Parts: sequence; C-alpha cells; structure tokens
Amino acid sequence: MAENGTLFDEEFLKKLEYLNIVSNHMIPGHLHGEHRAKKKTDSGIEFADYRQYVSGEDTKNIDWRTYLRLDKLLLRMFEEEADLPIYIFFDASRSMDHGEPLKYDYARKIAAALCYIGLLNHDRVNLVGYADGIAHEMSSRRGKNQVWHAFRFLESVPANGTTSIEKAFKSFFSHRRRRGLVVVVTDFLDETGFEKAFDLLRYFRQDLFAIHVYSPDELRPQLPDEVLLEDSELGTTERLKVTPGLMDAYSEKFEEHCEEVNSYCKKNGWGYVRTSTEVPFEDLILQVFRQGRFLG
Amino acid sequence: MTFLSMSPLLIGILLGGTAVVVTVLYWLKPPPRRMVVPSKLLWDRLLKEKRRSTLLDRLRWWMSLIIALGIGLSVAAAMGRPEFAWTGGEIPRMTIVIDNSATMAARTPDGFTRWEHAVGLARGLLEQGSVDGEFLILDTSGQAPSTDPGDRRSARAALDNLTVSLGASSQFPGFIETDGPLYFISDGVLVRHAPAQAEVVSVYDPADNVGITAFEVGSVPSVPLEYQAFLEITNASLGSKQVSVRLTGAGEGGLRETVTLEAGETRGRTVDLSGFDRGPVRATVTTDGDVFAADDVAFSFLPVRSRTRIALVSPGGVFLQSALADEPRLRVATLSPQTFDPDVRADLYIFDRWAPEEPPPGPALLFLPPNVPWLAPTVAVLSYPSVSGWDASHPLMRFVSLEDLRIERAVRLGARPGEAGTADVDVVIGTTELPLLIATEAPRKVIRAAFALEDSNFPLQPAFPIFLSNVLSWMMDEQSAVPRSPGRIEVTLADAEVTDLEGAEVETSQVSGRTVFVAADPGLYTVTAGTRRMRVAVGISDRDRTAINASIFSPEDRATAPPEALRLAGEAGNELWVVLLTVATLLVIAEWFTYHRRWTV
Repeated sequence: MAENGTLFDEEFLKKLEYLNIVSNHMIPGHLHGEHRAKKKTDSGIEFADYRQYVSGEDTKNIDWRTYLRLDKLLLRMFEEEADLPIYIFFDASRSMDHGEPLKYDYARKIAAALCYIGLLNHDRVNLVGYADGIAHEMSSRRGKNQVWHAFRFLESVPANGTTSIEKAFKSFFSHRRRRGLVVVVTDFLDETGFEKAFDLLRYFRQDLFAIHVYSPDELRPQLPDEVLLEDSELGTTERLKVTPGLMDAYSEKFEEHCEEVNSYCKKNGWGYVRTSTEVPFEDLILQVFRQGRFLG
Repeated sequence: MTFLSMSPLLIGILLGGTAVVVTVLYWLKPPPRRMVVPSKLLWDRLLKEKRRSTLLDRLRWWMSLIIALGIGLSVAAAMGRPEFAWTGGEIPRMTIVIDNSATMAARTPDGFTRWEHAVGLARGLLEQGSVDGEFLILDTSGQAPSTDPGDRRSARAALDNLTVSLGASSQFPGFIETDGPLYFISDGVLVRHAPAQAEVVSVYDPADNVGITAFEVGSVPSVPLEYQAFLEITNASLGSKQVSVRLTGAGEGGLRETVTLEAGETRGRTVDLSGFDRGPVRATVTTDGDVFAADDVAFSFLPVRSRTRIALVSPGGVFLQSALADEPRLRVATLSPQTFDPDVRADLYIFDRWAPEEPPPGPALLFLPPNVPWLAPTVAVLSYPSVSGWDASHPLMRFVSLEDLRIERAVRLGARPGEAGTADVDVVIGTTELPLLIATEAPRKVIRAAFALEDSNFPLQPAFPIFLSNVLSWMMDEQSAVPRSPGRIEVTLADAEVTDLEGAEVETSQVSGRTVFVAADPGLYTVTAGTRRMRVAVGISDRDRTAINASIFSPEDRATAPPEALRLAGEAGNELWVVLLTVATLLVIAEWFTYHRRWTV
C-alpha cells in the first residue's frame, strides 16, 4: 500500500483534471444522468408541461391566456431537479492488499477519481471503505472544496480483515438513505457471496455500478508444481499439485465467477466493468463513462 | 526363471532393496512452497469439483509409484541377467570347437562367410543347452580366452569375441574332457583331424578363389644392385579362371597382365624391378567370383641400392677378403692392424681377430676380437664348443643353415651390461649360456663372433656368403621387408612405433624388450625405434590357405545356420534382460510423458 500522501500525487491530480475535461466533452451533464430524478412540480423555473386544473387547487399557476383562448383551465407545471447522491463503496479487505500494482491502491484511485468528478459537478458523494462490514466512512459531501478531504480519507483507510459486502450494505442502508447511485469497487472475493448484498440494493431501489478489480496473477497465477496456498484473509491453507489442466480449470473458474457477477448486474439493469490493475486507471474511468449508464 | 549373474538371495535383496528405495523416495518428497494468495475462494470451489471427478484422479499417485517401481525393478532384474527355463534346451553340458582358420573367411554364395555360418550354427547349438548348463567354446587358433566352461551367456560372449585367424597355425585344441556332446564346426580345409567323439558340423561350400601363394623381392645374384620380384599365383577354384595380375611400386615399370589359370594350376614368374625406386611393392590379383580376399594382395619392400664402403682390418686371412671381393656392391679397403687409422671413413668396419681401443664411428663386425674397453671381456677359451642353435627369425640368419658348422676354438663372452644375456643383445648363434655370435643395435650396430673364421668351417659353408650378404643388408638397413602372417607380430626392436602403409599408427605393446603389434589384414608395416627401422610385410602367401576347396567334406555335408542366427551374430538378440531394459525405457518414456502432462502428479 502506498504511504499516506503519496497515493494521490501531482501526476494523479493531473490525470483527474484531464478526466474531468474529457468527461465534459464526452457528454454534457456529467453525472446528471438517468440517476438524476426529475419530477414535475408547481414551482420552479423551467416550464415542463400543462395539466388539467382540479377544483380546490391553488390558482396561482393557472394559465389565463390559454383559458381565454381555449376556454379551459390549465395549470402550468415546472421541472425540478432532484439532488441524488453517489455512494462509493471500496473494498478495504486484506484480499485487496495483493498484486503488483496493489489492487487496493488501484481501487482507491478509481474511487478518488469518481469522487473528484462527482464533487466538481456538485454531486453529493459518500465514500465507504468496507471489509467485514463498514470499516471507515466519509459522510456525505458536496462541492469541489471537499476533494482534499476525500483524498485524505481514502489515504487513511488501511486494507484489513475479511470481506462481507452484505454486512456493509446492511449496516449502511439500515439508516435512511436517499435513492442514488451505488458504486462498488471490489475484487469480488467474498466468501459470503455478492448476490444477497446486491438484492439489498434492489430492495432499497438503489442503482448500482460494479467495478471488478483483479491483478494479472489472479487470472493466471505463477505457481510451482507443488504449493501450499494460504488464504490471506482467513489464513487457511490448501496443498495443491499444480498441473496445466488445473491451471486451465482455474482460469475457467475465474472467468465463470466474473461472468456470474456480470450476468447478475445485467439482469438488474446495473452497470458492470471488469479491469486488471495493469490497465491505467484513467482508461478505466473513461470506459466507465462510455458505458453511458453512469452518465446522463 | 534363472538369474545368471547373481545368486537367488542376491537378486532377492536387489529387487527388494530397489522396491523399498523407490517407495521411500516417493514418501520423502520435499515440503511444498508456501504461497499467500488473496483468497482461496475460487481454488476451493475448483477443488471441490475436481475431487468429485474420476477414479483416475484418485489413483494417480499410485499410478506414478507403480510406474517408478516398474522402472526400478526392470533395471534391477536386468542386472541379474534373467533367463526363463523354457528359453533353453535340455543339454546340461556342451563343448563347441569352432574352426577359425584362414579359409573360414571365404564367403559363401548366400553372402555370409563360412565363419559367420559357423558362429550361427554354434549359436543354434547353444540354444539347445539348458539355461543353467555349462558350456565351453574353443577355437582352432587359440583365441578362446578360457578353457573353463561357463554359462550360456558367457559362451555367447566368447563366441562373439572370436575372429578368423588368417595367420596363425590352426589345429584342433588339445585333450578335452567332457561328459556332454562335443561339436566341431569347420570347413575341413586347414584343420582336418578331430577326435572321434566329436560330432563334426561342416560349413564347407565350394567357391572360387585365386590367390598369391608366394611373393618376394630380392637382389639379382649376379647384379646385386638390381632387384627382382618373384610372384606365384594359384587358382584354387574348381574351374579355370582369368586372372588380372598387377605389381606396383614407387616409380615406373611393374606388371599389369591378365592370365588364364586352369583349376588347381600354379604359375610363378619373375618381374624386373629396375624401374622402381626404393619403397613399398604391392602385388594384387583379381578375378570374378573370388570369395577369399585375404590372399589377393601381397606386399614387400624394395631397399636402397648403393655401393657400400668396407674397411677390413685383418692380420691376414683369405676367407673374408675373397668372400667380400665376390660382392659387386662393395668397395673394400683392406688394412692391417698397424696401418688402421681411426679416422678412416667407411660404411662398415670388419675387424678380424683385432679391435681398436676406441669403438669405430660406424657399424662393426668383429671375429674373435681381443679384450678392449668397449667390448665385454672374454673369460675363458673353449675347445670344440657345440653349436646348439641359432635364431632363424633374426635377419642375419635369413636363409642361413648352420647344421654342419664346426668350431675348433671359441671364447666365452663375459657378462656386461647391455651385452649377451640382456634384452639389448640378440644371441644369433648359440645360447644365452654360450653365445657364439651376438648382435647389438645400440648405440651402434655391432656383430661379434666368439670365434675366428680360421678356427671354424664357417667360411666353407654354403651359407657363409648368404650370411655376409645378410650382414651387409642388416648393417646398412637395406633389408627387405620381413614376411609375417596376419595376427600377433613380434619384432626385435624395443619401444618401437609401428605405422601402416597409410602412415596410421598401429597400437603396440612391449614384451621382454620386443615390440608386439596386431596386424589383422595383409599390409606393409614400418617399425621405427630411434634411427633403426624395419619393415614387416604381412600377408598369407601360402598355398594351403589359398586352397579353400581342399576340404575333407563334400558340399552335401554342409549344415546351414538358421538366418536369424546369422543376423544375430554379435548382437544381444531378444534376451530377457534386453526386453527388461526395453520395458524400463518405455516406462521412463511413459513416466516422462504423463508427468509433463501432469497425469501422474
């Protein structure tokens, strides 16, 4: 893990600036997408529509000109933009503290980038580091002057403990939360599974974008002929005789696991992207934007 | 099953030990490397499915162990040289005498030689012996290493080590005591007699052969500086033959002609070698269908021709002067002991009953010299010593017979390092106890007679001029090539190098101050020891060896070796240890194949 103060260096910040500019050019509106709810009210600035006047309603929005022309009482409706939050969950379990570069650093950079773009566009952003439940949480922030606070928070969270995203979601959404966009940055190496956790999001009518981070040696580990594998989170061991057939089966199993997550997200209309830590994080962010689901 | 090279107890220990070692090695595998992974989640899922898979997966460790045991036990069992009882016959003891005389090298119409047929038949006979029986292989040339019977495998090995002996004299080996069958496999040409109890197996098959039965290069008696070659050819075929004869050497001339020889005809002729320079001379004969190549070529050597300066120092005597005067290739200066000047230059010094105080600068022949510092002293005077023998193989005694030599007075030569009785001195006439004529080659060639010509009838012997001629040739290193038969050849030079006609060095050994080498085929060999040099012409110019059809058998008597026995000659064949090693090799390949595909790990 990078030392405090070095994870988000000057070069990283330059890349964030670049991402912000590129995202502005790609689709105007930034994060104001389909995640941003629009409701029609009787107050506001931007005209949206007419509707039939019902007896007893306030008469201040009756369009009298139309009444004179059509002899009908119609009320003017206005569109009001709702302030929907972004919840960024990043996996801070011990399994993230592996790979070269570290999956955990990579995940935090993604979280930082999304947080940065969100804050610069006046979105309300929550940062949550989770392991076997919520480990660290930065409460809801808005405005670009909160960027440094978010970065310091991300740098201060260590990777430790086992993984249970379900517990984290349960704990987080047990409090009253507004509907918003949940971004999860994780390696999906969760013994308790992800399905129940995602079902919770569906129950709370939250939108989800899952970012699956893995290191190259997870896809194709370099193992000797005989090896004693030790689980970094649980400390359990397994003796293996490594054969090409076993390695092929493992790779298939990995792909299968990724496909499970992808299918689940697709089935629920959620976004999913899988990335190796070899891919520059800014490329990944652009890929996230290009998926469209994230942007309006 | 019988193990030929080990006792049952030993082979049991070997097999058991191998099994234990292999099994223990399988248990003593090094601990695996520990590696921390982010999560075993996917590995656990995968292994859960894998463990539910096939029986083969569960048995792979055992498969690997069984293959390794198979390899180890196969190799261990092969070391014991096993044989199954059913692979042998019932004869418990057997003796096979195989004829490996020169004519066995004759090729038969089927392309194999008589020798190969004989070996094939011997192999077939051995197969009839029981697995744990005793077998003895002997030959007619004394090559067989042991006269003690051994097992069937050692008999086969002895058989494989035998070769046709082109040069050695051949005879049925001495008394053989056996209570089993005695077989004699022969072509009946050079070895014609076998004991009555021997069951004779014939490999004789008539064939064509024309060979050189005599070849010699020598000087013309009337003109000693000129040389001639005598060449004799014999047609040993059953019909007449057209023979192409060639005689080649260094320079021009020689012979190239085609003659027709009737069956059994021998024809000799003399060829003038005046056109040849000093060097090897080679005679070859070629004819259609010739099956015996060893007698188709013969070699000799044409020596240097020049006049020799002789300094004869004698108080007076007619024999030496008159004998030397008859030699046209000599220029003789006769001196008395008083007029002898040590600085006089000569190619050869002859001292008659006198010797200088200092050794002469060149080779010397001395008859009854007085005691001088450079010669061994005389210790006694003998009257009428008996001439008990002479070394007929020495170049000085070529064509010399001393049957009627009588000596009235001689001296007994005293012992002295490097003289009579030691390795550097050749006793040419007499014995080591009573040497009458000795020859040394180092530091210079010296021939010393213990008697004066005037005290013997040697000058009156017909061999005396020949002896003098031999002395001149030996002293001047002019001798022609020494004829020898193929095989083991011993020359009188110590620590000599031997090269063949192409200049390739021949392996030698030293035996009692003599150089020994093996010449398997006809050729001209040069033996060099320091400044001394001699040539050995190896060939089988011999009518008996050329006469390959002079067999006591008729062609109808011939036994034929089975083709597989002919093919297997010299090979391991399909013996069980070969099969076991093949199995081990296949298992190693299988192990390698399955290991690299991780089928057995």
